[in-house]
Amino acid sequence: MIMELSGRTPLGSLTDKWEKHKNELKLVNPSNKRKFSVIVVGTGLAGSSAAATLAELGYNVTAITYNDSPRRAHSIAAQGGINAAKNYQNDGDSVWRLFYDTIKGGDFRAREANVYRLAQVSGNIIDQCVAQGVPFAREYGGYLANRSFGGAQVSRTFYARGQTGQQLLLGAYQALSRQVGLGKVNLLTKKEMMDVVVVDGRAHGVVIRDLVDGKIESLTADAVLLCTGGYSNVFYLSTNAKACNVTAAYRAYKRGALFANPCFTQIHPTCIPVSGDYQSKLTLMSESLRNDGRIWVPKERGDTRLPNLIPEIERDYYLERKYPSFGNLSPRDIASRAAKEVCDDGRGVGPGGKGVYLDFADAISRLGRKVIEDRYGNLFEMYQRITGEDPYSVPMRIYPAVHYTMGGLWVDYNLMSNVNGLFVLGEANFSDHGANRLGASALMQGLADGYFIIPYTVGGYLASTGPGTHTEAVRNKAAEAVQHSEEKITRLLAINGKRTPTSFHRELGKIMWDKCGMARNEQGLQSALVEIPQLRDEFWNNLRVPGTGEELNQSLEHASRVADFLEFAELMVRDALHRKESCGGHFREEFQTEDGEAKRNDNDFTYVAAWEYNGNNAPLMHKEHLHFENVELATRSYK
Amino acid sequence: MNLRLHIWRQKEPGAQGMLKAYDVADVSEHMSFLEMLDVLNERLLENGEDPVAFEHDCREGICGTCGMVINGRPHGPEPKTTVCQLHMRSFHDGDSITIEPWRASAFPVVKDLVVDRSAFDRIVQKGGYISVNTGNAPDGNAIPVPKVNADLAMDAASCIGCGACVAACPNASAMLFTAAKIGHLHALPQGHAEKGARVYNMVLAMDDEGFGACTNHLECEAACPKGISSLFIAKLNTEFVITSLL
Amino acid sequence: MRRLIEVWRSTVFQKWVMAITGVMLGGFLLAHLAGNLLIFVGADDMNAYAVELRELLHGSAIWVMRAVLVISLVLHVRAGIVLAQRNRTASGGRYAVTSYQRSTLASRSMLLTGLLILSYVLYHLAHFTFGAIHTEYYHYIDSMGRHDVYRMVVESFRQPVITILYVVAVIVTGFHLQHAIASAFQTLGINHPRYSPSIKMGGTLLSILIVIGFISVPMAIIFGLVQ
Repeated sequence: MIMELSGRTPLGSLTDKWEKHKNELKLVNPSNKRKFSVIVVGTGLAGSSAAATLAELGYNVTAITYNDSPRRAHSIAAQGGINAAKNYQNDGDSVWRLFYDTIKGGDFRAREANVYRLAQVSGNIIDQCVAQGVPFAREYGGYLANRSFGGAQVSRTFYARGQTGQQLLLGAYQALSRQVGLGKVNLLTKKEMMDVVVVDGRAHGVVIRDLVDGKIESLTADAVLLCTGGYSNVFYLSTNAKACNVTAAYRAYKRGALFANPCFTQIHPTCIPVSGDYQSKLTLMSESLRNDGRIWVPKERGDTRLPNLIPEIERDYYLERKYPSFGNLSPRDIASRAAKEVCDDGRGVGPGGKGVYLDFADAISRLGRKVIEDRYGNLFEMYQRITGEDPYSVPMRIYPAVHYTMGGLWVDYNLMSNVNGLFVLGEANFSDHGANRLGASALMQGLADGYFIIPYTVGGYLASTGPGTHTEAVRNKAAEAVQHSEEKITRLLAINGKRTPTSFHRELGKIMWDKCGMARNEQGLQSALVEIPQLRDEFWNNLRVPGTGEELNQSLEHASRVADFLEFAELMVRDALHRKESCGGHFREEFQTEDGEAKRNDNDFTYVAAWEYNGNNAPLMHKEHLHFENVELATRSYK
Repeated sequence: MNLRLHIWRQKEPGAQGMLKAYDVADVSEHMSFLEMLDVLNERLLENGEDPVAFEHDCREGICGTCGMVINGRPHGPEPKTTVCQLHMRSFHDGDSITIEPWRASAFPVVKDLVVDRSAFDRIVQKGGYISVNTGNAPDGNAIPVPKVNADLAMDAASCIGCGACVAACPNASAMLFTAAKIGHLHALPQGHAEKGARVYNMVLAMDDEGFGACTNHLECEAACPKGISSLFIAKLNTEFVITSLL
Repeated sequence: MRRLIEVWRSTVFQKWVMAITGVMLGGFLLAHLAGNLLIFVGADDMNAYAVELRELLHGSAIWVMRAVLVISLVLHVRAGIVLAQRNRTASGGRYAVTSYQRSTLASRSMLLTGLLILSYVLYHLAHFTFGAIHTEYYHYIDSMGRHDVYRMVVESFRQPVITILYVVAVIVTGFHLQHAIASAFQTLGINHPRYSPSIKMGGTLLSILIVIGFISVPMAIIFGLVQ
């Protein structure tokens, strides 16, 4: 049955919805809160902030992470900053402008009311973080400093050097640690979520595996929060941390939660290129480099001369040529695709021809080395550490890489999935960024969900349903789910083939990057739909995992995650195939304007595609049509 | 280049471990140190041997998950560099490299190069925070913070909790870690209300976890991938004695 | 009370005890050095100084000083041993390969040098303060009927064994001080990015001066500069 989904957005004017909704949500009496238990999976920005806040309110919280400490979550790697509509700069910023920038940046594929609420609570996040001791950058007068970021005409980004994600995560981690110290949060580290316990369409707990001794057990609770991040690692090479995976979200999907817009993935144009087959991950270089660097490739194919020996006339500054008004500062998706185009044309530079030059020679001769050093010193240092080349004398080489996924589990206005009691926060849900995320918005969303939205909506849910975990049915279902997970582990260990988990992951990544990466077309996607199941078959017949399931076994952990990626990849390809339009991070080559720009199809695709697991059959697609009552759908142009 | 590695292999906590030699051929200088270990592990896996367990996650020097002692130095020979950011161009063909886990009683070995650093979390749980519930906060600009204080707080707060300070310290002391957290929170006006209790409880927690005492060798400062200054330790010393005696 | 015990037992406080008592002992060392250098002024001044020291405040001053010194010494040694034991347990077996960057041989051998100094101090006290050993030099009386400290020192240091032991002990002490001085500043929290290099340098310089000062006495005697 295909259904039309409802985001259950409250009625009323856009500006009043959240206030009104908060007033209408039922409350749990303070003395009753301790009778409810909540499981939070993942301890990044969303998970830590939610777990800490729910514990402060009095709920019994269990927080789970597969890392050795909550502080390791990949939120820590965000560099640039966090947006908030504070208007401290008096430059005309407002909740409305932040809302509008975000919804437009997302190419009009996000839910209006959610995005507006995000902008509304953005200011509270800054206040909360300052109170926690997050050392945001300050002006000499002692007040908070701001910088500007892509996709906005105002200065609204708060930052802590180049380590904003780290500092925000440590703030949330410390709030969480306080609750652990007070005995209000039961913190479980080195535990990986393997499954969700769902009875009659309601989530009652999770199955977890201890990564040190391999023990698999179930935990039950009145509500489950998945704060498990994105799935960029389906591409194997991405800027995500090595352990990031889709397992938690995918398991929830297999238990009935809908997966929304999985094909919306974001490619960042300025990453350090791959240097060899052994490459294990990609490193992002801040987008700000494009303010002074000029991007070029040789005009001739296969020109292997050193960059400094290629005369000006034989260089193609392709972004300046194609987009004269935005030039090197054209948006992420456009700059990324242009780089791919020239490399596909055989004009890429560096090992394997997968790179373009980002040249600072002009800027250095114009401004002097000192100025460039002040602006980008730390980035140049990082580049040199990784590549061994000195970017002051040799142009940097950059190439696009996957770094964020806008798609995720479908949630309603309360951030609850279609499975009752299963909430999804942060990058793991699909809700706020549409088809493309603006810089400095991921941190904002994670913390908004955890600090300021979930504490209200989980309360509303629990107040209206009451406790109900201690039933025979839940116990049976939990035992069954444990057994199911144990069987999966046993199966992985029993294959005893020849290939390593990494080799499968790498091969899957290549299929996805080539066929479902920066640019996609019908033919490529169709062939991916053939190749992925073949690879999956081989995986289940030719995988080798040494050791046992009763010890720290990193190959086994990896294999279990790759197994889910191999299934999930197919879902992603299906979604990309069905969306016959180009929007944001999803670029279908068949749908472009004459000069190669993305062509959105608002008539047919202004909806969220939410996929339902359907056993061995093709998944079913449900739609949530997006209604834009407050903004007008416009075309993005950067010529 | 070709390398000979001597790697600490230990099956499980408490088991007897030993250094085992492995030859790795055709290492590219562009590989990171961890990628070089990946190559070794892939080969071990293909031969049906147990790969070397080591921890890593972000591989860009910020999560603090990775860490191993390379030829006697935590995170290897390069200053202010985590092992994931260390590249093989820092080594030469024919080098012999000894790789050991962090050694400290408070960081028991879990397997091979993996150690249990949860002691750090427990120190933070005893006071490494500011007690402010969500929703309590006044406006972010309500309390101006002098830029020098904000910068000092940021210097201390850049700690990634990797444990290199403990690994480098001949006494396995956790003073730099503890002092950095206290230094961060005490540089800001927001952290002042709980100053006394924080420093007292965190120092006692640190001792309870079985870390050694600081005897000012300052190896920690040299090993810290974020270059956190030992001056934070000096500050902690004074604050602890003053607040606990008054 | 429980809190006081907890504070006392903490590593940070023990280090602080170490630093404070170390400063007391170091102060004594400097005063001792000043007294020793009187040998270059002459026998009369030196012997008079010895008498004054014993008779100051009707003879009570020296006992107060001795009490403070003994307490300092006991606490200093105790803290040193307790912390060293703790550190040995904490370090949990060391590395197959070590490569130190900032610590020094001095900083890593504080317990050893400390114990060596302690044993020398006991020997030294038995010799010069209590006259329990080398008694042949202890009973000289000068022309004014005072205990002839000057002659005791001069004749003692004409014995190579006594001099060698003394010189070695002084060098070991200098070694101990080289780490101790900068370390005390750090432990007592007197530190600043601008001054810490100077503190470190000053500490080393002071240790060298102390060593030279102490050794100058037997050297002057051996080379006949002091008769």
